[in-house]
Amino acid sequence: MAHSIALFVVDTGPLITLAAAQSLDYLLFVRARLIIPDAVLHEATRDAARLGAQDIIDWVKANRATIEIAPTRAYEIYDLARMNKPHLREPNLGERAAVEVIEEPDRLIGNERGILLCEESALLRRVVVQDKAKIIELSTLDFLRVLELQQYIQSAEQVFELAAQAGRSVSRVEKLSIQDHPTRDAIIDLVRKRE
Amino acid sequence: MRQEIKLTPDDVPLLEAYSTGKMDAITLRTRLDGATFGEVLMLLREAGLPLPKAPVEGREVDIARARQWLFPEHGA
Repeated sequence: MAHSIALFVVDTGPLITLAAAQSLDYLLFVRARLIIPDAVLHEATRDAARLGAQDIIDWVKANRATIEIAPTRAYEIYDLARMNKPHLREPNLGERAAVEVIEEPDRLIGNERGILLCEESALLRRVVVQDKAKIIELSTLDFLRVLELQQYIQSAEQVFELAAQAGRSVSRVEKLSIQDHPTRDAIIDLVRKRE
Repeated sequence: MRQEIKLTPDDVPLLEAYSTGKMDAITLRTRLDGATFGEVLMLLREAGLPLPKAPVEGREVDIARARQWLFPEHGA
């Protein structure tokens, strides 16, 4: 019996790896709700400063109708704190937001199944998954291997190699300055709750 | 917190441990003074090390399950 699927990108690694390999669209190759915690998106776009934060921002904007940015209390508190401290950094913000999303009791709708896309296995060890039969944890490479088995992509390994090589490409090295208001505003606009 | 991305000799053993799956990303990033994942990618490249790749052995069940869930009409 086919179940509906929710694909959670719960840390920055998958977004940055796929962005570096110009392969973010692979996340849309599957028929699943795509969910990214707000803080993870925030961190990924800051984190990818030298690998193209704009790629991630543009991709999310272009696919806004199919990507759910999951609001979290962790990010809400951080966002409020930044009003008084604009340069505030919270190193574990993404992880805390991801735990909040994963542990939320009604996160899966009805008989839905969840796939957690995550590079950091240490994060998943901290999480209490209520119904393990309905959740699978996959690394980025695992996910790509599934696409390769389905012949949706030619080679999972090749995508990984592209990501690893991305730091070499000078043309793709961009600096996201915190003074870069248009980019900052774009991130804020993407993660802000809509009334 | 790192001010700029620059590979140091002390980083190499840590990156090697991560690259071969002996260290997880959170531990690595903590040991690298809060380096971000993007910075880890760049340091790996500078050190000539690949991204860690979990071997398929031991992952087959989860990969097969995920494939069945994501592509039920084609089967696993």
